[in-house]
This record gives sequence, C-alpha cells and structure tokens, in this order.
Amino acid sequence: METLTFLAAGFQVALTPTNLALALFGCFAGTIIGSLPGLGPVNGVAILIPLAFSLRLDPTSALIMLSAVYYGAMYGGRISSIMLNIPGDEPAIMTTLDGYPMARKGKAAEALAISGVASFIGATFATVGLTLFAPLLAKAAIYFGPADYFALYVLAFATIGGISGANPIKTLLAACLGLMIGTVGLDPATGTARYTLGSFNLYDGFDPIVAIVGLFAISEVLILFEMHVAGSEPIKRLGRVIPRWSDLKPGFGASLRGSVVGFIAGILPGAGASLGAVMSYSVEKRISNKDDTFGKGDPRGVAAPEAGNNAASGGALIPMLTLGVPGSGTTAVMLAMLVSLNIQPGPLLFQNQPEIVWGLIASLYIANFVLLALNIPMIGIFTRILSLPQWSLMPFVVMVSFLGIYSISHSSFDLLVMVGFGLLGYLLRKLDVSLVPVVLGLLLGADMENNLRRALSISDGSFAILVQSPISIGLYIVTILLLATAAVMSLRDRKRRPAGSEVHTLEE
Amino acid sequence: MSDRIAGLLFLALSIWYGMTAGNYEAGFGDPLGPAAFPRILAVPAALLSLGLILRPDPDPTWSRGVILGRQVATIAVLIAYALLLDPLGFPIATFAAVLLLAKLIGTSWLKAGAAAIIMAPLLFVLFDVLLGLPLPLSPSI
Amino acid sequence: MKHLLSAAALAALAGFALPGGVTKAEAAECIAPADPGGGWDFTCRTVGRLLTEEGILDAPVQVVNMPGGVGAVAYARVMNSESDNPDLVVATSTVGITQIAQGKYPAGTDAMRWLAMLGADVGVVLVAADSPYNTLDDLFAAMKENVGSVVTSGSTAAGGWDHIRLLMLAQAAGMGPEEFTKIRWVQFDGGTPAVTQMMGGQTQVVVTDLGEIAGFVESGDVKVLAAMSDEPIPAFPDLPTAKSQGYDVTGYNWRGFYTGGKVSDEAYDKWVSNLETLFNSEAWKEAAEANGLIPIWRGGKEFNDYVVEQASQMEAISREIGVIK
Repeated sequence: METLTFLAAGFQVALTPTNLALALFGCFAGTIIGSLPGLGPVNGVAILIPLAFSLRLDPTSALIMLSAVYYGAMYGGRISSIMLNIPGDEPAIMTTLDGYPMARKGKAAEALAISGVASFIGATFATVGLTLFAPLLAKAAIYFGPADYFALYVLAFATIGGISGANPIKTLLAACLGLMIGTVGLDPATGTARYTLGSFNLYDGFDPIVAIVGLFAISEVLILFEMHVAGSEPIKRLGRVIPRWSDLKPGFGASLRGSVVGFIAGILPGAGASLGAVMSYSVEKRISNKDDTFGKGDPRGVAAPEAGNNAASGGALIPMLTLGVPGSGTTAVMLAMLVSLNIQPGPLLFQNQPEIVWGLIASLYIANFVLLALNIPMIGIFTRILSLPQWSLMPFVVMVSFLGIYSISHSSFDLLVMVGFGLLGYLLRKLDVSLVPVVLGLLLGADMENNLRRALSISDGSFAILVQSPISIGLYIVTILLLATAAVMSLRDRKRRPAGSEVHTLEE
Repeated sequence: MSDRIAGLLFLALSIWYGMTAGNYEAGFGDPLGPAAFPRILAVPAALLSLGLILRPDPDPTWSRGVILGRQVATIAVLIAYALLLDPLGFPIATFAAVLLLAKLIGTSWLKAGAAAIIMAPLLFVLFDVLLGLPLPLSPSI
Repeated sequence: MKHLLSAAALAALAGFALPGGVTKAEAAECIAPADPGGGWDFTCRTVGRLLTEEGILDAPVQVVNMPGGVGAVAYARVMNSESDNPDLVVATSTVGITQIAQGKYPAGTDAMRWLAMLGADVGVVLVAADSPYNTLDDLFAAMKENVGSVVTSGSTAAGGWDHIRLLMLAQAAGMGPEEFTKIRWVQFDGGTPAVTQMMGGQTQVVVTDLGEIAGFVESGDVKVLAAMSDEPIPAFPDLPTAKSQGYDVTGYNWRGFYTGGKVSDEAYDKWVSNLETLFNSEAWKEAAEANGLIPIWRGGKEFNDYVVEQASQMEAISREIGVIK
C-alpha cells in the first residue's frame, strides 16, 4: 500500500486551484491544436513548453499543464477524424474507419461522445496499470528482443488484410505501398540513402503526418466535387447534441477489450499508440463483427481503437519512465518534456525522485478527468462545424492542413509532397483501396525492417533466430490462427452470400 | 479496366523497386544489408499486383467534363499555393487560394470573396499570433 | 454568414485560451538531430534551458528534434535552407564528425561554421551485472578465442563512433582487421535501448557514452569493464579506465554546436561568446557533471580547426580498421 501513499501525496501536490486551472487551460488549448489537421500532441506540447517556462511554473504544475495539452491534443485529433475523415495525428487513423461513417449517418455527437468516453477508459486503465505494476512490467519489456518485435509486426500486418471491408488484395497492396514509401530515406543501420532520387529533401523519408494529411484531407476535397454534382447531399442532419446513455452503452465492452490490447502493445517500447489502435480495432472486429457492421459506422469500431491508443500511450509511459526509452512518438514528447524540466527518466527515477513520478501520475489522472468533463459538454460546439456550408468549410480545412504542415517544416517541398499524396489518395479511394493500410505501412515499416536486421546481426545472418524465442513462436502461432480463421470465415461468407452482393461506396 | 491499369502500374513499380534495391550495398558487419528488405517486399507486391490484374473489381465512375476540370483546377491552385506562399507572402497567397477554392466548390464570387477576406486574417491570427508558428507576412522577392 | 461567424467564434475562443506571444520568430532555435532522450537532445535542451535561466538569452530556446541519418538530415536541411539563419544552432558531437569523415553526410566540415564544444562524454564498455567478464582482458580473451561468440552493440551503426571505439580497443588487444569484420555488432536507436536489450540477454556487450546510461550504472544493472578516458571520471571515480588496464585508447565524445555556413561573423561571434559565458557558469558545471560529462571548452576558430583536424584523423582511423576503403 506504499504505492497508494505515494499517489495520495502526488494528488496533494497536484490538486490546487492553480493546477486545476492549468489543467483546464491545457485540455482546451490541446483540443484546439489537436483538431487542426497536421498538428498533433507533439506540436501541442512543443508549442506550450516555452509557455511553461515563461510562466515560471514549478515542475509539477508544468507537468499537469503539459499532460493536459497532450491528452487534449489526442482527443482533438479524433474530432477531425470523425467529423471530416481527416485524422489529426497518426493513431487517429483507425478512428476514421467507423467514426466518419457514424458522422455521415447523423451520429457525429454520439461518435464524439463514445470517443471521449473510450479514451477516458483506455487512459485510466493504463494509468492504473502504470500505478500498480510499472516496475514489474518494465522487466517484461526488457525481455522482448528484436526477433520478437519482428514477429509482432508480422502479426500486425497479417491482420491488416481484415481491417477494411474492401477487396483484401487491395488492402494488402496498400500495405505494401506504405511499406515501400516507408523505406525512402537514409537507412538507419548503415546510413545508405535509399530511393531518395538524389534529393536531400528525401533523406529523412516521407513524414507520416504530411502523408496522412495529404492522403486524407486533400483527397477529401477532390471527392467532394463528385458528391456535390451527383446530388447526394453529403452532410446529414445532425442527431442529438447531447448523447444519451443508451448511445454510449455498446462501446463499453469494446473499450475494455481495446484497453487491454492497447496497454499490452504500449508497454513494448517502439510499438506505441498506432499499433495499439490497429490491434484493438482488428481484435474488436474479429470478436464483434457478426452482422458486418464494422466500417459502416459501428460504435464499437470507434470505441475499441480509441481506448486502445490511449491505453497504449499510457502503457508506453512505463518503459519511458522506468528505462528512459521513448516507446512511441507521443511518449517521446513526454520524455522531451521531462528532460526540459531537468528530470532524467531511467531506472533510478522511481527511487530518487518519487515525488516527480507520482506527481506526474496524479496529473495524468487529473488531465483525464478534466478532459472528459470539458469535452462532453463541448460536443455541441464541435458538431456545428458540420453545419458550415462546403464552400467555406473546405477551403478552411485545406488551408489549415497546408499551414499546419508549413508552420512546422517551413518547406514548400513538404507542401508539394502533400498535394502529391492527396492525388494518390484520391486515385486509391476511387479504386476502392483503403488508405489506412498505406499509412500503417509507412508508420510501422521502418521498425519492422530495423528489428529484422538487428535480429540477423545478433544471429550473424541465421534466420533461425526468428523462431527461437518462446515469445516469437507464440506470436507466429497467433498470426497463423488469425489467418486461418479469417480464411475459413471468408469461405463461409462466400457460400452464404452470392458473389458481388457487397457494394462498396466511395466513402468507405 | 481501371484495376487492371492500376495493377500494371503497381507491377512496374514493384519491379523497379526490387531492381533498384540491388544497388544498395551491404554495409560493414550488417548481414542482411539495406537491400534485403526492399527485395523481399517487392515479391508480395508484384504477386498482389498480378492478383489485381487477374481479378479486377468493376470500374468506378471516373469524373468527366466540368467536374474533372474543377478537380484539375483545384490541384493547380494547391500546387500554386505551395510554390507561391513564400514569394507572395501569406496574406496575398491565402486570400487568392481561399477565393479560388470557394469559387471552385461552387458559390458566388461575393461569398467566395467574403470567405477569403474573413479566413486569411483568421488563419494568420490562429497560427502566427496565438500558436506562435511564424508565417511569412510580406512578399519576399 | 452565420456559419462563418460561428467558426470565427470558435477561433476567438481559442485565442482567449492562449495568451499571445508564446514564442516569437526571433527566438533562438536549437536542432537536436535525434529523437528525445539521447545525447544531442540533452545538449540542446540543457544548454537551451541554461541560456535562459542564466539570463544570457531573453527568450526561451526552442528545441526541434530532427532525427534521421545520424544527423545527416539536419545537416542537409541547414545546408539547403537555413545556412544563413543567425538564430539557429545544431547540436553535434564526435559521432557527427565520424559520419562526416566517412562521407555519410551530404557535405564535409567546411559546409558549416563550428561554434564550440562545452564538454565531453566518455565512452564505456558495459556488460550485464551477471556477465562472466570482469575486465577488458576477460572480454577480449573470449573474443580472440571465438570472435563470433560475443554479440556487441551500441547506439551507432557499424562503422559509427561506438563501433570504432570497440575496434580501437580490439586493436589494442592484438586483434587484426581481418577479425574486425567478424565481430558481431548490433545497432540500436540510442544507448538506453542498447543497454535494456543487453539486460534482456539479446546482446552481451554495449559500447556507448556514459551520460545517457549513467542511471543503469548507478542502479547496478550493468557492470562497467572500462571507461575510455585519460583520468578517472569525476562523477564516477571508481570506474576502471582502459588505460589502467594497459589499453592505450581513449574515446571521448565531445558535445558542441554548429551553425549555418553563411552566418555572419557577427552572429557567429555572438554565439561563441554566449556559449563561453554559459560554460563558465556554475550551473553548467553542475548540469554537465550530473550527466557524466567532463566540462571542456573549445570555441570559435580554435574549435573550427579542431573539428577539421578530428575529421581527418577519424578518416584515417576508419580506413585503418577497414570501415571505409
């Protein structure tokens, strides 16, 4: 019960009126920043770190404000996923799969509420896990070697085929395309420039966020022209503004399952929130997609990845705090934030600076609650975005996307790349190819390759190392089982339904 | 047909991708080297492209006429904006881009102009002033 | 119109929430050409913080992480579009110079203006706490007997500074270039991942800088076979040096900054003097020592010459041990 004593002390430090006000401000600012396409938690925290310094906040207050910004920006990213089919940051891509169809059915408010509640459940689950088991779980992370990571990525990519409803060949091709795009740039193990076509601009490869904003936001504009003329009024009457309890209910089971899956993915450094979201979505789809409702606006398809990525972000704090390994892009931001405050995470942090650790954990709890309390009542405001006429909404979204990218990199090259990705995204959508696997390939491919190469460096070139650890064997067994059940199910489906009865609309 | 063309293009891409990988030499003490992963990847990519060529889905309806024209014009506006943001400065470039985009999406010049007049300063205030992400204010030639 | 107004109201709310002037364009910017948590990130963040805290700069220094190509991406970026930006500095170290010497950056040392170094990290050879090796002799005896039996690792690619430091020790132990290529080397994305993977039993030896992983030394999770410094490290006086074990090898990793090649003399001198003021402060000495760095100053022209000299030395070493041809 020592833990609880520490935590209580943490809350005592954190729960002052000033700190609560900072948490409110942080959540609000974070939500706004996150909802702008191209700007995510990374930028939110980066933008507000200087403010924390200029206000001369003590470390605890600064941590509370920045954690609130972080959570706020994560939530903000979902708003544009759901309302506009434009993911605000990397982990939010899975939320477009069912969130946007929900919005199109007039259930934007419900989708936002479910996303908020699921995020809260996932984050709280992870924070509790962090509170109780951090040192123990850090040990588990240590025993996960390069060959095991490779097996994990194989599992993730094997399940991608089932993620979207479209033709599985196309989904897998999209993943290959993403992996190919991901190899562009300097190879980390040897520094060889690959597929850069001689341009230094491509040395760092394609920035996932530039690709995401291009693929989703720019292609959305091009699609819009066709919907307009076809006479199919794209924007849907709004449903209720304040969601009812019964709207939230179906998401609970999914949120809990998503939390568990996401948390496990999060503990492993490197896997991170995107993987957490992917895995929880595909697990949930396998469990719950009995009536083929996923991808068409199933609330569980929103709840699972939302809980999953928040639980993963929370889980990723474990290796970050106890080992000093930034598990994912978003925890890297938190690590930067701690280092800025002159706190060095590592094996001795819990012993040497317990007040900091427990202050941080307490601030995570507070930020979570504040976010829920702040954003559920604000759903009404967010949904008004949809009532804007297209001729003002679309230019606004496009301009914000451009400026979001430009204000970070100041590079017109990135803007051109974004337009290029927009065109690619448009063509892929016309051909009914899901964009999500492209982004996943781009996000996860580099880590997959690096771990394969590390494993083979360890074994001196022998491929046997890939199946030598019990962890990797277990992961491959799960992969094979998943693929086998998917194959059996699709055979059964084909028998039940006459071929060609599945009609896919553009917007899927 | 569209799927077949896409499959062919993708097959060509996979082959080029796999061949180009051959130029990347294995580094010092790296058994797999920088070429292996792209080469491995090229194989399923090529096979899947073949699958797409052999079993295509029905064609989507491609846009034609006015709609295609508007789409091309939109891309042109976006490329122009990317290239002209620095030289023209934020206010002029953004005003022009919003005006043209709003008009392309389909509204009167008056409304498009109103959107542009309101949005350009709004975006500037949002990014530069509030978020502290500097934008080029004046033309730089 | 009404809709536009509601959008405006939304933005105005945002404005209300964010008090203006969070950062301004004139604020100095420090690029850490790596992910947060490593040495370059530490250099930017600590120096950036102290520059403001000590009152040397008014506005906080904005730290930008730009990982990629062991610093090559940031190098290319500064060369292409920021070469005359007087408010920009980039953190670098011996690791970066090694890459330049081996032709892995888009240009040589003459493309930038080298400002100063403020301290040096010391390379250490680490094994897990329960490892059978207790001295460098133990380790190299095992490697000489069967070079494939030991998996070594570090935070740089094969041929990078961590790897070269291991090879320099191996050379001192009497191993030859033909054996060097058989030494198994695994690259991780930083010293911390390398150490945690070693603790998990994936690898047996880590060669990297002490600063980033000092916590693991203090906690007793790892054993230090040798520190590659001339004298014992002030913050860790008990660690045995390589020299004390008869290996005449040192492997420092200095921490410093460069700025664009077209920055004016005036801006360059300003940076050098600001950094020198910082170096002479107590706060820097404390921060450096707390992170396992030995404070050492070289600035301005002296530093520029030092970098050019070191790059040519590094090229010679790389050639000698067969990393480049």
